[in-house]
Amino acid sequence: MEEILQTAIWVLPMLAVLAALALAVARALAGPTAFDRLLAANAIGTSSIMILALFGFLTGRPEFLDVGITYALLNVIGTLAVLKFFRYGALGHAQDPETYREPE
Amino acid sequence: MMDLLLDIVSLICLSSGGFFFLVGAVGLNRMPDVFTRMHATSVSETLGVGLMILGMCLQAGLTLVTVKLFFILVVLWFTGAVATHALARAALHDGEKPLLINRKGALIKTDPVALFPELGLRLAQPLVSETNEPQPKQKPQEDAPSNS
Repeated sequence: MEEILQTAIWVLPMLAVLAALALAVARALAGPTAFDRLLAANAIGTSSIMILALFGFLTGRPEFLDVGITYALLNVIGTLAVLKFFRYGALGHAQDPETYREPE
Repeated sequence: MMDLLLDIVSLICLSSGGFFFLVGAVGLNRMPDVFTRMHATSVSETLGVGLMILGMCLQAGLTLVTVKLFFILVVLWFTGAVATHALARAALHDGEKPLLINRKGALIKTDPVALFPELGLRLAQPLVSETNEPQPKQKPQEDAPSNS
Protein backbone atom coordinates (compact mmCIF):
# COMPACT_ATOMS: atom_id res chain seq x y z
CA MET A 1 0.00 0.00 0.00
CA GLU A 2 2.73 2.38 1.04
CA GLU A 3 4.81 1.61 -2.03
CA ILE A 4 1.87 2.04 -4.35
CA LEU A 5 1.17 5.43 -2.80
CA GLN A 6 4.83 6.43 -3.08
CA THR A 7 4.81 5.60 -6.79
CA ALA A 8 1.43 7.12 -7.49
CA ILE A 9 2.50 10.41 -5.91
CA TRP A 10 5.03 10.91 -8.70
CA VAL A 11 3.51 9.04 -11.63
CA LEU A 12 0.06 10.65 -11.61
CA PRO A 13 1.23 14.28 -11.85
CA MET A 14 3.91 13.23 -14.32
CA LEU A 15 1.27 11.83 -16.67
CA ALA A 16 -0.72 15.06 -16.35
CA VAL A 17 2.32 17.20 -17.13
CA LEU A 18 3.21 14.95 -20.07
CA ALA A 19 -0.28 15.43 -21.49
CA ALA A 20 0.07 19.19 -21.01
CA LEU A 21 3.43 19.02 -22.81
CA ALA A 22 1.83 17.20 -25.76
CA LEU A 23 -0.91 19.82 -26.00
CA ALA A 24 1.68 22.61 -25.91
CA VAL A 25 3.59 20.91 -28.72
CA ALA A 26 0.36 20.80 -30.72
CA ARG A 27 -0.06 24.55 -30.26
CA ALA A 28 3.58 25.17 -31.16
CA LEU A 29 3.07 23.28 -34.42
CA ALA A 30 -0.31 24.86 -35.21
CA GLY A 31 0.15 28.40 -33.90
CA PRO A 32 -0.81 30.95 -36.53
CA THR A 33 1.57 33.67 -35.35
CA ALA A 34 5.13 33.55 -34.10
CA PHE A 35 3.95 34.71 -30.68
CA ASP A 36 1.75 31.63 -30.33
CA ARG A 37 4.74 29.43 -31.02
CA LEU A 38 6.89 31.32 -28.54
CA LEU A 39 4.19 31.06 -25.90
CA ALA A 40 3.95 27.34 -26.52
CA ALA A 41 7.74 27.03 -26.32
CA ASN A 42 7.63 28.76 -22.95
CA ALA A 43 4.96 26.34 -21.75
CA ILE A 44 7.02 23.39 -23.02
CA GLY A 45 10.00 24.67 -21.03
CA THR A 46 7.99 24.96 -17.83
CA SER A 47 6.51 21.49 -18.31
CA SER A 48 9.92 19.95 -18.93
CA ILE A 49 11.28 21.51 -15.73
CA MET A 50 8.46 19.95 -13.73
CA ILE A 51 8.96 16.57 -15.46
CA LEU A 52 12.66 16.72 -14.59
CA ALA A 53 11.90 17.43 -10.94
CA LEU A 54 9.23 14.72 -10.72
CA PHE A 55 11.44 12.16 -12.44
CA GLY A 56 14.28 12.97 -10.05
CA PHE A 57 12.01 12.31 -7.09
CA LEU A 58 10.63 9.13 -8.68
CA THR A 59 14.09 7.64 -9.12
CA GLY A 60 15.27 8.95 -5.75
CA ARG A 61 17.86 11.28 -7.21
CA PRO A 62 16.75 14.89 -6.59
CA GLU A 63 20.04 16.15 -8.02
CA PHE A 64 18.12 16.65 -11.26
CA LEU A 65 16.84 19.87 -9.69
CA ASP A 66 20.08 21.66 -10.59
CA VAL A 67 19.33 20.99 -14.24
CA GLY A 68 15.84 22.32 -13.63
CA ILE A 69 17.17 25.62 -12.30
CA THR A 70 19.37 25.97 -15.36
CA TYR A 71 16.43 25.26 -17.67
CA ALA A 72 14.32 27.86 -15.86
CA LEU A 73 17.00 30.50 -16.32
CA LEU A 74 17.57 29.61 -19.98
CA ASN A 75 13.85 29.57 -20.76
CA VAL A 76 13.23 33.28 -20.27
CA ILE A 77 16.49 34.26 -21.93
CA GLY A 78 15.57 32.18 -24.96
CA THR A 79 12.13 33.79 -25.20
CA LEU A 80 13.52 37.32 -24.95
CA ALA A 81 16.27 36.53 -27.46
CA VAL A 82 13.80 35.21 -30.02
CA LEU A 83 11.54 38.24 -29.50
CA LYS A 84 14.44 40.59 -30.04
CA PHE A 85 15.50 38.67 -33.11
CA PHE A 86 12.02 38.96 -34.60
CA ARG A 87 11.90 42.70 -34.01
CA TYR A 88 15.38 43.73 -35.11
CA GLY A 89 16.56 40.88 -37.27
CA ALA A 90 19.74 40.69 -35.22
CA LEU A 91 20.75 39.89 -31.68
CA GLY A 92 23.76 42.15 -31.47
CA HIS A 93 23.66 45.85 -30.76
CA ALA A 94 25.30 47.18 -33.89
CA GLN A 95 23.02 47.17 -36.90
CA ASP A 96 23.82 47.06 -40.53
CA PRO A 97 22.19 50.23 -41.96
CA GLU A 98 21.49 48.49 -45.25
CA THR A 99 19.37 45.75 -43.72
CA TYR A 100 18.02 47.92 -40.89
CA ARG A 101 14.23 47.83 -40.93
CA GLU A 102 12.62 50.96 -39.56
CA PRO A 103 10.07 49.85 -36.94
CA GLU A 104 6.67 51.09 -37.94
CA MET B 1 0.73 7.53 10.52
CA MET B 2 2.38 10.89 10.12
CA ASP B 3 4.14 9.65 7.00
CA LEU B 4 0.88 8.44 5.49
CA LEU B 5 -0.76 11.79 6.17
CA LEU B 6 2.18 13.63 4.59
CA ASP B 7 2.02 11.34 1.56
CA ILE B 8 -1.68 11.96 1.10
CA VAL B 9 -1.34 15.73 1.46
CA SER B 10 1.50 15.84 -1.06
CA LEU B 11 -0.44 13.55 -3.42
CA ILE B 12 -3.31 16.03 -3.30
CA CYS B 13 -0.95 18.97 -3.91
CA LEU B 14 0.89 17.29 -6.78
CA SER B 15 -2.27 16.01 -8.45
CA SER B 16 -4.00 19.38 -8.31
CA GLY B 17 -0.81 20.92 -9.69
CA GLY B 18 -0.99 18.48 -12.59
CA PHE B 19 -4.67 19.34 -13.03
CA PHE B 20 -3.84 23.02 -13.35
CA PHE B 21 -1.10 22.16 -15.83
CA LEU B 22 -3.73 20.38 -17.91
CA VAL B 23 -6.10 23.33 -17.58
CA GLY B 24 -3.41 25.68 -18.85
CA ALA B 25 -2.55 23.40 -21.77
CA VAL B 26 -6.19 22.96 -22.79
CA GLY B 27 -6.63 26.72 -22.61
CA LEU B 28 -3.55 27.15 -24.76
CA ASN B 29 -5.27 25.08 -27.45
CA ARG B 30 -8.85 26.27 -27.07
CA MET B 31 -8.48 30.02 -26.62
CA PRO B 32 -9.16 32.17 -29.69
CA ASP B 33 -6.22 34.58 -29.86
CA VAL B 34 -2.69 35.23 -28.60
CA PHE B 35 -3.54 37.36 -25.61
CA THR B 36 -6.14 35.00 -24.21
CA ARG B 37 -3.70 32.12 -24.71
CA MET B 38 -1.15 33.98 -22.61
CA HIS B 39 -3.78 34.29 -19.93
CA ALA B 40 -4.38 30.55 -20.08
CA THR B 41 -0.74 29.52 -19.75
CA SER B 42 -0.21 31.79 -16.76
CA VAL B 43 -2.44 29.40 -14.79
CA SER B 44 0.01 26.54 -15.23
CA GLU B 45 3.01 28.79 -14.70
CA THR B 46 1.86 30.09 -11.33
CA LEU B 47 -0.70 27.82 -9.69
CA GLY B 48 0.44 24.56 -11.29
CA VAL B 49 4.12 25.08 -10.56
CA GLY B 50 3.41 26.42 -7.07
CA LEU B 51 1.25 23.48 -6.01
CA MET B 52 3.64 20.91 -7.49
CA ILE B 53 6.65 22.41 -5.74
CA LEU B 54 4.71 22.61 -2.49
CA GLY B 55 4.00 18.89 -2.80
CA MET B 56 7.65 18.10 -3.53
CA CYS B 57 8.78 20.25 -0.58
CA LEU B 58 6.50 18.23 1.72
CA GLN B 59 8.18 15.05 0.49
CA ALA B 60 11.71 16.39 0.69
CA GLY B 61 11.55 17.75 4.22
CA LEU B 62 13.97 20.37 5.47
CA THR B 63 16.96 19.60 3.29
CA LEU B 64 19.01 21.24 0.57
CA VAL B 65 16.49 19.87 -1.92
CA THR B 66 13.83 22.18 -0.50
CA VAL B 67 16.10 25.16 -0.99
CA LYS B 68 16.64 24.21 -4.63
CA LEU B 69 12.90 23.74 -5.12
CA PHE B 70 12.32 27.18 -3.62
CA PHE B 71 14.83 28.66 -6.06
CA ILE B 72 13.06 27.00 -9.00
CA LEU B 73 9.75 28.38 -7.75
CA VAL B 74 11.05 31.94 -7.41
CA VAL B 75 12.82 31.86 -10.79
CA LEU B 76 9.75 30.48 -12.56
CA TRP B 77 7.36 32.96 -10.96
CA PHE B 78 9.49 35.98 -11.84
CA THR B 79 10.62 34.95 -15.31
CA GLY B 80 7.18 33.72 -16.35
CA ALA B 81 5.71 37.14 -15.71
CA VAL B 82 8.58 38.89 -17.48
CA ALA B 83 8.38 36.63 -20.53
CA THR B 84 4.60 36.98 -20.81
CA HIS B 85 4.82 40.74 -20.49
CA ALA B 86 7.48 40.93 -23.18
CA LEU B 87 5.41 38.67 -25.44
CA ALA B 88 2.26 40.76 -25.03
CA ARG B 89 4.12 43.97 -25.63
CA ALA B 90 5.87 42.60 -28.69
CA ALA B 91 2.56 41.33 -30.06
CA LEU B 92 0.93 44.75 -29.58
CA HIS B 93 3.87 46.47 -31.25
CA ASP B 94 3.65 44.01 -34.10
CA GLY B 95 0.05 45.06 -34.73
CA GLU B 96 -1.81 42.08 -33.27
CA LYS B 97 -5.37 43.12 -32.56
CA PRO B 98 -6.92 41.51 -29.49
CA LEU B 99 -10.37 39.96 -29.72
CA LEU B 100 -12.70 42.18 -27.75
CA ILE B 101 -16.41 41.96 -27.14
CA ASN B 102 -18.49 44.66 -28.79
CA ARG B 103 -21.77 46.16 -27.65
CA LYS B 104 -23.80 43.38 -29.25
CA GLY B 105 -21.80 40.72 -27.46
CA ALA B 106 -19.83 39.42 -30.43
CA LEU B 107 -16.09 38.82 -30.43
CA ILE B 108 -14.35 40.94 -33.03
CA LYS B 109 -10.77 41.92 -33.61
CA THR B 110 -10.55 45.45 -32.19
CA ASP B 111 -7.80 47.98 -32.50
CA PRO B 112 -6.96 48.69 -28.84
CA VAL B 113 -5.71 52.17 -29.71
CA ALA B 114 -9.26 53.23 -30.67
CA LEU B 115 -10.48 52.33 -27.19
CA PHE B 116 -7.52 53.51 -25.13
CA PRO B 117 -5.87 56.59 -26.65
CA GLU B 118 -3.15 56.64 -23.99
CA LEU B 119 -2.10 53.15 -25.11
CA GLY B 120 -1.68 54.57 -28.62
CA LEU B 121 0.57 57.27 -27.26
CA ARG B 122 2.66 54.71 -25.44
CA LEU B 123 2.89 52.45 -28.48
CA ALA B 124 3.90 55.38 -30.65
CA GLN B 125 6.84 56.16 -28.38
CA PRO B 126 9.97 54.39 -29.51
CA LEU B 127 11.37 51.66 -27.36
CA VAL B 128 14.51 52.51 -25.45
CA SER B 129 16.73 50.57 -27.80
CA GLU B 130 15.14 52.26 -30.80
CA THR B 131 16.13 55.75 -29.73
CA ASN B 132 19.70 54.91 -30.64
CA GLU B 133 20.41 55.96 -34.15
CA PRO B 134 21.46 53.04 -36.30
CA GLN B 135 25.19 52.98 -36.25
CA PRO B 136 26.63 54.07 -39.59
CA LYS B 137 28.81 51.49 -41.14
CA GLN B 138 32.39 52.05 -40.24
CA LYS B 139 34.32 53.22 -43.21
CA PRO B 140 37.33 51.12 -44.00
CA GLN B 141 40.34 52.73 -42.54
CA GLU B 142 42.19 54.78 -45.05
CA ASP B 143 45.65 53.70 -45.73
CA ALA B 144 47.99 55.29 -43.34
CA PRO B 145 50.92 56.97 -44.97
CA SER B 146 53.31 54.13 -45.30
CA ASN B 147 56.45 56.04 -45.95
CA SER B 148 57.92 57.12 -42.69
